[in-house]
Amino acid sequence: MPTLTIDGKTVHAPHGTFLLAACRAAGIEIPTLCEHPAVEPYGGCRLCVVDVTRPEWNGWNKMVVACLFPVEDGIIVDTRSERVLETRRVVLDLLLARCPETPLIQALAGSYGVTKTSFVLNPEPTDCILCGLCTRICDRMGISAISSVDRGAGREIAPPFKEPPPDCVGCLACAEICPTNHIRYEASDGRRRIWGKDFEMLRCPRCGRAHITVAQADFFAGKNGVPRSYFETCDACKRKELAATATKLAGGASTPAVEQGTR
Amino acid sequence: MERVPCTDLAPVDAILARYPREEPSLIQVLQDVQRAYNYLPCEALERVAGELGVPLAKVFSVATFYKAFSLNPQGRTIIKVCTGTACHIRGASQLIEEVQRRLDIGPGETTGDMAFSLQTVNCVGACAMAPVVIVGEKYVGAAKATTLATYLDRGE
Amino acid sequence: MRIESHQQFDAAVEAARAAKLSKGREVWVCCGTGCLANGSRAVAKAFDERIEAEGLQASLGLYHKTTGCHGFCERGPLVVIQPEGLLYTKVKVTDVPEILEKTVRNGEAIPRLQYKDPVTKQAVAKYEDIPFYKHQIRVSMRNIGRVDPEDLDDALAHGAYSGLAKALFAMTPDQVIAEIEASGLRGRGGAGFATARKWKACRKAKGERKFVLCNGDEGDPGAFKDRSIMEGDPHSVIEGMIIGAYAIGAHEGYLYVRDEYPLAVVNLGKAIEAARLRGLLGANILGSGFDFDLRISRGGGAFVCGESSALMRSIEGRTGEPRAKYVHASDKGLFDLPTNLNNVETWSDVGAIIANGGAWFAGWGTPKSKGTKAFSLVGKVKNTGLIELPMGTTLRHIIEDIGGGILKDRPFKAVQTGGPSGGCLPADQLDLPVDYEVLSENGSMMGSGGMIVMDDRTCMVDVARYFLKFLCEESCGKCVPCREGLKQMLHIFEDLCAGRGRPGDIERIERLCHAMQLGSLCELGKSAPNPVLSTLRYFRHEYEAHIQDRACPAGMCRDLTAYEIVEEPCTGCHQCTRVCPTDAISGKPKQKHVIDPAKCISCGSCFDVCPEDCIRFFPKNGSKEAANAHADH
Ligand SMILES: Cc1cc2nc3c(=O)[nH]c(=O)nc-3n(C[C@H](O)[C@H](O)[C@H](O)COP(=O)(O)O)c2cc1C
Ligand code: SF4
Ligand code: FES
Ligand code: FES
Repeated sequence: MPTLTIDGKTVHAPHGTFLLAACRAAGIEIPTLCEHPAVEPYGGCRLCVVDVTRPEWNGWNKMVVACLFPVEDGIIVDTRSERVLETRRVVLDLLLARCPETPLIQALAGSYGVTKTSFVLNPEPTDCILCGLCTRICDRMGISAISSVDRGAGREIAPPFKEPPPDCVGCLACAEICPTNHIRYEASDGRRRIWGKDFEMLRCPRCGRAHITVAQADFFAGKNGVPRSYFETCDACKRKELAATATKLAGGASTPAVEQGTR
Repeated sequence: MERVPCTDLAPVDAILARYPREEPSLIQVLQDVQRAYNYLPCEALERVAGELGVPLAKVFSVATFYKAFSLNPQGRTIIKVCTGTACHIRGASQLIEEVQRRLDIGPGETTGDMAFSLQTVNCVGACAMAPVVIVGEKYVGAAKATTLATYLDRGE
Repeated sequence: MRIESHQQFDAAVEAARAAKLSKGREVWVCCGTGCLANGSRAVAKAFDERIEAEGLQASLGLYHKTTGCHGFCERGPLVVIQPEGLLYTKVKVTDVPEILEKTVRNGEAIPRLQYKDPVTKQAVAKYEDIPFYKHQIRVSMRNIGRVDPEDLDDALAHGAYSGLAKALFAMTPDQVIAEIEASGLRGRGGAGFATARKWKACRKAKGERKFVLCNGDEGDPGAFKDRSIMEGDPHSVIEGMIIGAYAIGAHEGYLYVRDEYPLAVVNLGKAIEAARLRGLLGANILGSGFDFDLRISRGGGAFVCGESSALMRSIEGRTGEPRAKYVHASDKGLFDLPTNLNNVETWSDVGAIIANGGAWFAGWGTPKSKGTKAFSLVGKVKNTGLIELPMGTTLRHIIEDIGGGILKDRPFKAVQTGGPSGGCLPADQLDLPVDYEVLSENGSMMGSGGMIVMDDRTCMVDVARYFLKFLCEESCGKCVPCREGLKQMLHIFEDLCAGRGRPGDIERIERLCHAMQLGSLCELGKSAPNPVLSTLRYFRHEYEAHIQDRACPAGMCRDLTAYEIVEEPCTGCHQCTRVCPTDAISGKPKQKHVIDPAKCISCGSCFDVCPEDCIRFFPKNGSKEAANAHADH
């Protein structure tokens, strides 16, 4: 297992893992905006920059992003060198100009002493920081209903043709992973609306809660080759059912726990 | 986005037939579609996505990322003004202004009668003849604002 | 016919050479992009028809062929008559009968069509005597302008694929790599990475399936040497790639060619087809047992796709977003398999190096930069075009001796190299020898070999603004420092050029540059500050003039500049009135003209055409608002 030094501490980290995990395991805080355990690292926000030195390479030294740099034996990592802090400050300053009204960015920038941007304010403030988490989680689910559109300064996240996305199943994964709550949705009992598309909900036959969209159930059923009915029952009820079965098998109480839901 | 309806997808199918049904064909197919229609009709993108097995969102992403593609119908004659460095320092901006003045369209726009579209390109590799304008298929080297008019006669 | 052994290859070359020698005289017509633009196709056709109609092949032994771009596009269409090597420039269809009658039949020159040296004003008869060619040593461009790119036999007669035959039949892959190492060849696509080292790493990488790629994206505006090579001598690129694949152990390759180069795509496609038919590509190449095939992938028009990881994503059919390179492409590149990418020129050098030996190539150049390098010399020089010179040649030699000095003999201000990742070097750096290290140490870059010469009528703040605008549109937008940083930097520069600069702007620019260099994901963002930093380094006074005096010393920033006609030498020649786009100039013929400041948009067109030099520009002084307020009084 590679052994490295992070801010003076000796840290062991398993092969094939990234610096970010090693830093966090050592209790060292690294700011991140585009990283999430559910998706592959991306390296877009550049907040997790750290200074790396390889002593046996003649003191070779470079700034890298911790979320993508694989751990190596013998390297020395400085997570708070002046140029690391300065780079983070400028990045946060830039993000604050882009998203002046976004609480998460305000707070993060504030923690680096940036309370007001030194750049030109975005005339159309947005909460989207283009971290790419929403598109990556959607890809991860195997759906890819939304994507990045355009490039450079004009880049944004949108569904195809900026119309309600045909492939979207309304699972809300993008909205839930979004660190700034930029992706809005409406949910009521029985209906859901996201990206301008309306979804009909399935009710759990046991508890009656509308917990999954019809499209979602169809998608997962098709993908996993199981009958749709499998996805109709909500997770909570499934757990209860499982518990009941287990109890039954163990020869315990026979009170059916399943018929409790109100329709 | 405004959709411009397109009904004849036969050319798209003919193009698709020439390529393997896989993601690496995407950009190549879109190039040919762009050439066939002068733009990428929404319906064509949907057909391409379905046939290549690439999610429509990815197709849209690629179609908007690359400058060779446009989602709006282009004029019958496309005027490309090179704004590469060599052309820039030899006065490309005056050429753009000239087209703008004469046709009343800015870069990326098309005249109301669909006769002309104005585009800018970053170097077409003819820098020795800078500034360069391409009108339709014709390369005009050492272009001057005053002589550009002859190429902009309507109905070319 | 397929060539199936070393012997058959030698025989095919012999036959091609003999066929070439049997053609007593030849007329070569350049059909590169530039000459085509000037109408060379019609000229070529006219020659073809006359030779056919008059039976000149039989009577005079006269043949005709079309060649690729000589790099002298400005004077096209170019015609060369062999074996004398006579050059005619700007040839029109109507000149064809005269050339055949006078020059070909009677050996008489036509002075009107000869090249005139803009410096000495003398006519130069022979192709090789033009100063523009005289100083050159061509390796990567060895056959351009000499071979018909659509004729494989012609290429064979000029030595194409002899390096390949040598590699396949007389060398092991390790020996090939050693030869490249001995040549000292470094990547011609920009960064100058040692080619042999890259090949070695990819050869060592685990995996059955590997790729070799050719970077034909040539995104640096102002550079066109790769276009010329791909169009004019596609076989040199293909040969290099087969040799590289053999050395690395790859069996598949892609040529990534930018969409703006349609002729390169066509010529490469034909060359691949021809090579396949003759057994130079495909299974069992030349009967050696080595398999390799090539495909063309057309880019979609994105500068960032020149970056290696973005290029690979683009070949995969995706958006060209770079990835962090902590894992090298030699291990995980295209489709996550071991991949080796080289530039067009690098590939073109390979065949010649193997044929002639590494030491031959290393005989040119500086201690760290060996061999020759192709450049496109453009901008405000008298002779613009493509050149290939030994590394270490001074900028002065290139600009003054080959380029013939500055257009209209105006003062030289700077030369820009390395495209949007490079920088501008001023007059006192002109004696620098061109090599990778020297250019980087002085704030510029080798890049793709674009050399854009600028005169005193080029504003260095505007040049930096130009590159920022370019990059702002071309950044992929994935990472914050590049996407947001470029946008903000452009804001500052637009203010500078409009006279809205503020004290502290230079410091803000420097801070942003620093963070972008350190924090960006890929080299596009990391090197984006170079044009800004190099102009700040050498032309800081121009920045200060824009901020403090609201003046553009070059008179190019329109919001800061006004024009007037000076009393004295104005002869009322009317030339300025003809070019003024807003009809702001008035005056009777033969009398002094005046510019109406209310109509003038400060475009400078009149300044550029005035034969008497009587148009003067001066700072509008203060912001536009101030000037307007002034005018109201
Ligand atoms: C933004 C960017 C654009 C680039 N454009 C090109 C290009 O147009 N052509 C090229 O050969 N290399 C280009 N490069 C360099 C390539 O990434 C790569 O280093 C090169 O193709 C490797 O080939 P070489 O070793 O033969 O030079 C570019 C790099 C960056 C970062
Ligand atoms: S530096 Fe620019 S081009 Fe490179 S990944 Fe970041 S945004 Fe994209
Ligand atoms: S978390 Fe590493 S770049 Fe965003
Ligand atoms: S800069 Fe315009 S053709 Fe190259």
